[in-house]
Amino acid sequence: MEEKVLEILEEYCEEALTYEGDNMMEEGIIDSFTVINIVSELEDAFDIEIDAKYVVAENFKNKAAILELVERLLEEA
Amino acid sequence: MNTNFKRLVVIGYGKAAGDILKYIADRRLDYAYQLEFIEHEIHALSVTENICTERGIPFQRIPEKEVLARYLDEIAERTLIVSASNNFLFPGALLEKENITIINFHNALLPNYPGRNAPSWVIYKGERETGITWHYVTAGVDEGKIIVQKRCEIGPDEKAYELTERLMNLACEGFAECFDTVLAESAQAVPQDLSGERRLYRSKEIPGDGFLNVAGDAEAAYRLLRCVDYGKSEIFPPLRLEIEGREAVVVRYRKVAPEKREEGEKLLFLPLRSGDFLKIKYRVL
Repeated sequence: MEEKVLEILEEYCEEALTYEGDNMMEEGIIDSFTVINIVSELEDAFDIEIDAKYVVAENFKNKAAILELVERLLEEA
Repeated sequence: MNTNFKRLVVIGYGKAAGDILKYIADRRLDYAYQLEFIEHEIHALSVTENICTERGIPFQRIPEKEVLARYLDEIAERTLIVSASNNFLFPGALLEKENITIINFHNALLPNYPGRNAPSWVIYKGERETGITWHYVTAGVDEGKIIVQKRCEIGPDEKAYELTERLMNLACEGFAECFDTVLAESAQAVPQDLSGERRLYRSKEIPGDGFLNVAGDAEAAYRLLRCVDYGKSEIFPPLRLEIEGREAVVVRYRKVAPEKREEGEKLLFLPLRSGDFLKIKYRVL
C-alpha cells in the first residue's frame, strides 16, 4: 500500500516525499487542486471512496498523515 | 505611488483569493492603504486565514449575508472591494455609494457565460477556449465594464477543477496587470456588448440536468463527467444514470487505454473516438 501511495505522491507532489514538517498545505507544498488529484488517484488505485469529510488539511498535512488516512480507509472498506 | 483608496477589502475563498491577497499585501510597500480580508464562504482546505496571520492582515469570517451587507454598508472611507471567487451578491445600495468601488473576477470571457460555474458550462458546451474577466461590479450580474481579460485553451481531457485552477492563475496575472490603473482610477474599462441573447447560469442549474446517458455519444458523456468534476467539492450532486432499468449514480470515472480495460463489477466501458475507453464506476441506488 505504502509504495503505491508514495508513487501517487511522487507523480503529483514530489516535494511531499521529502517534506519533514506537519503543515504541507499552509506552507504551500501542496494546494487544494493537488489534493483533488491525489484523492482521485487514491480512490482509483485502492478502489475506495474517500468521503469529503476526510478531505481536510489535517489529513494532508504530510506524507505520514496521507498514509494513515489510506490505511484507515482500507481497514474500514 | 498614490491612490485615493484608503482601504482595500478582499472577499473570496480558495487559491485565487489567497494569491490576490498576498499580492495586495506585498504592494502595501508602494501604497498607504489599509488591507483586510473577509471570508464569506467557508472552504475545508482554505489557507487564507493563515496568509492573513502571516502577513498581519485583519481577517474576518462573515458567513451571514445580512451581517456582511451591513458591515460593508458602514464603510465610510474611499474603499476598493476586490471580489475574488466570491458568490456574495453585493446589495444595490452598496453599489450606489460613491466611496465604494468594487471589482470582480469572473471565470469566463464576459459577456459570455455570466453567472455561476462557468468552467463547467464551457466544458459541457465543448468550447475550445475560455478565460477570465476582471470587471467593475454593477447592479446587473457580471454586466459591468471590463477592465482586463485573459484567454486560455481548454484541454481535451480537462476537468472542471483543473480548468478552475488554471483560470485562478490567470486571474492573478490579470489582477497584477490592472491593479495600479484600478487604484489610480485610470483603467480603460470597456462596456460589455449585452445586445445579444445572454443566458445567465444559475447556481442550481446542472449541466445535462445531472443525467448521464451511457447509451448515447461517449464523447458527450465524457464532457459531462469532466464538467461536473470538482473532486470532493460538492458543487454538483453525483451524476445519475440508468443501468438495466435501475437508477444508479457515478462513483468515479477515468479515460483508460484499451489494454487497461479490465471488466469488473459495477463498471462500464464506453468507447471513445481516440480508441481509449471511458471507464465509469457506478453505484446502484
